[in-house]
Amino acid sequence: MSIFDASTTQPSRARRALRWPDMPWYVMLAAAWLLLVLAVALLADVITPYVYTAMDLKYRLVPPFQTLAHPLGTDELGRDVLSRLIVSIRVSLLIAFGATVISAVLGTTLGFLAAHFRGIVEQAVLMLADFQAALPFLILALSVLAFFGNSLPLLIGLMGLYGWERYARIARGLAISASAQGYATAITQLGAKPTRVYLRHILPNIASTLIVSMTLIFPEVILLESGLSFLGLGVQPPMTSLGNMVGYGREYITRASWIMLTPAMVIVLTTLAVSLLGDWLRDRLDPTLD
Amino acid sequence: MIPFILTRLLRALITIALVVTFAFVVLRLSGDPATIILGPEAPPEAIEAFRKSWGLDQPVLVQYFQYFLAIFQGDLGMSMRDGRPAFELVVERIPATLALTLPALMLKLAIGLPAGVYAALHQGTAFDRTVMVAAVFGFAIPSFVLALGLVLVFAVNLGWLPSGGRDTVWHAILPIITLGAGGAAALARFTRSAMLEVLGRPYIRTASAKGLSWAVVVRGHALPNAAIPTVTLIGFLVGSLIAGAVVVESVFSWPGVGRLLVVAVANRDLAVVQCILLLVATTMVTSNLIVDFLYGALDPRLRQGARAAA
Repeated sequence: MSIFDASTTQPSRARRALRWPDMPWYVMLAAAWLLLVLAVALLADVITPYVYTAMDLKYRLVPPFQTLAHPLGTDELGRDVLSRLIVSIRVSLLIAFGATVISAVLGTTLGFLAAHFRGIVEQAVLMLADFQAALPFLILALSVLAFFGNSLPLLIGLMGLYGWERYARIARGLAISASAQGYATAITQLGAKPTRVYLRHILPNIASTLIVSMTLIFPEVILLESGLSFLGLGVQPPMTSLGNMVGYGREYITRASWIMLTPAMVIVLTTLAVSLLGDWLRDRLDPTLD
Repeated sequence: MIPFILTRLLRALITIALVVTFAFVVLRLSGDPATIILGPEAPPEAIEAFRKSWGLDQPVLVQYFQYFLAIFQGDLGMSMRDGRPAFELVVERIPATLALTLPALMLKLAIGLPAGVYAALHQGTAFDRTVMVAAVFGFAIPSFVLALGLVLVFAVNLGWLPSGGRDTVWHAILPIITLGAGGAAALARFTRSAMLEVLGRPYIRTASAKGLSWAVVVRGHALPNAAIPTVTLIGFLVGSLIAGAVVVESVFSWPGVGRLLVVAVANRDLAVVQCILLLVATTMVTSNLIVDFLYGALDPRLRQGARAAA
């Protein structure tokens, strides 16, 4: 089995992957952009020139690069686009990170449970995965969000359901093939509890595959959140996210397209960067994933 | 073959039952629709009457079984907003959605499949690299950004095409391009990697080694084998014909199922949302089921009943 081969040769591959000179220029560019975006998100409180909700009615719809006071212009209420952009990046990244972690933990746990107990548990997990696959996530998210009302924790939790079935399938498959290998059996026979076998021994062995899956799913979460917020059903004002800014900027598309274009560009560049990095990591760490 | 079909069918039915349960749980337990429809100031008697007429005063379990029973009888409830059967409301929107998603699907297939196959056969050429770059961008650009970009260029700046509505054929062009472009890129990338995987197999080398021309090898050995994974993706695309245009319909004010869903969700019109959920899930499950059967026809290994891979 190809998955089996990949997981046994991973340590050497992982070390090779981290060597800088092998990185193509576009992957370096992607990594640099991601570092920038991450720094902006972390330092949002310090670097925003204005409070992102502060209105300045004297300066409404100022185009970008016109005045140093508002380098990226202002929106219909005279709010600084740069400040809103910075806060939006923080909110969107927070949701995407939170959701990706939740989904990875949930999926891996369910995958391990399926691999350990087999039988009914495994069938139940597979059935849940079927259910998830039968319903486009946007439709599922739309109904849950609008009916449960909307809050940031709920949004993150809901997005955390996105993609769990992919982690579950991978974790289940890899855990089953790992249990057939000597090391898992040896640890079990030494008297280790199943939690120890799975968390301390199997998980580190399949971690690189799971991390690659995370980089593949992360941009999808960003796109999903921005889509929901764009429809006005994700992040709610006065809070702002990238999709949210595009959604509201859309009303001014004829007169002030910059309100919408700047956040749209950040969304595209960020998803582009993460998927370039993810593709590159996958090629290096685990070519069996798709 | 028969047991294979039966297990698939059973799984499909269970999946649909799960979707119905999910819809019921989420939509019924998330709040009291009576106060939302009638407003918080409505007199208690009116709320009581409303709850009674919609069966909301019954225990949840009873509501649940009644709901299942109603669905089996083809009754999907009335829209709480305009009092018409929800099913009717949804069905009359389907042609509008299909008017966008069907041409978009054709566009995806017409561009994506040949581009992917050609790129795989000419790996490393400029064409191959263009396909890969297009695929990466097609994934990274969300549909609403692409849609607004097209509106900005072709409707606002050039004034060639309308930016929204459904009055003439011209109104459909931008939404169809939006839907088709991203999907074509994704399909091309997928077809390319399926094809490359097959081209690397030993039986391709054997076929070439025994003297077959390259065209015969590609047509007779590579394409049929690469078709197997590609059919799965096409099945998914067919399954999302009804639900795949939520965002694009909203951008272009296109009166289809997707826009109905967004409005119904905002209004908490339970019956309509449930009806769409069910319709979407049924389409998806049916199309997955057809793909499974096609698999059986395309891949003789699956007919043997040895389904270890599943």
